[in-house]
Amino acid sequence: MKYVIVSPRVGTPGEIYNPDIVVNLGALISGGFIKPLEEHVEEVAEEPAPAAPKSAKTKSNKASTEE
Amino acid sequence: MATTTYLSNPVVTVNSVDLTDQCSAATLTRTVEALESTAFGGTARVYTGGLENNELTVTLYMSYAASETYATLAALVGTQTNVQVQPTSGNESATNPKFILTGAYLETLPVLNASLGELSTIDITFRGGVYSVDVTPA
Repeated sequence: MKYVIVSPRVGTPGEIYNPDIVVNLGALISGGFIKPLEEHVEEVAEEPAPAAPKSAKTKSNKASTEE
Repeated sequence: MATTTYLSNPVVTVNSVDLTDQCSAATLTRTVEALESTAFGGTARVYTGGLENNELTVTLYMSYAASETYATLAALVGTQTNVQVQPTSGNESATNPKFILTGAYLETLPVLNASLGELSTIDITFRGGVYSVDVTPA
C-alpha cells in the first residue's frame, strides 16, 4: 500500500511516502502525517475544477465589443 | 588540545517525523550491560559484555497542534519505533554521524506538563533498540 505525505515534517507534501527505515505507519496516519494514496486520489478528484478567471471573461467581452 | 562541541542545531527524528524545532535537549546513551565473569582464582572483578540497553532521552516543547509533538507521540506509547539524532543538520559523515536506535520502546508520555507562565515541555525516554551509526552521505 502506498501513502502520500501530508505534513512537511516527514517530507514534501503531495509526494509518495517512501521511508528508508522501518516506521510505525499507524502512528503516522493517526497523527495526520501521511494518508493512503487512494484517499488522496479521491480527495483530489472531488475537488471542483477551478472557475475561469474573471479577467479572461472581461477580456473576451471587451474583444467582442470592439468587434 | 581540548575541544568542545556546541550543539546548536542537532536533528532529532522520531518515527521519521522531524521534531528538531520542538526539541531543546537530547541524550543518547549506548550501554552494553556488564556481566560479571569473575571466577575463583581471580584477584579482581572482571566483566564481559551482555545485552545492549540503549536509551534516548529528549526534551520537547509540548504542542497539541496538528503535526506537532502530541500528534507525533500519542500513538507511539507502548510501541517500538525508530529514533535518529544527528549533531548538525548536514549530510551524514564521519564528523556528523547519525545515531539510530531501531525498535526503541516508548514506555511513557507525559500528556500534560504545565506551569503558570512557562512554556510546556516534556521529557521522554526511548528505551532499548538496536544501536547503529550512519556516516554515509544520503
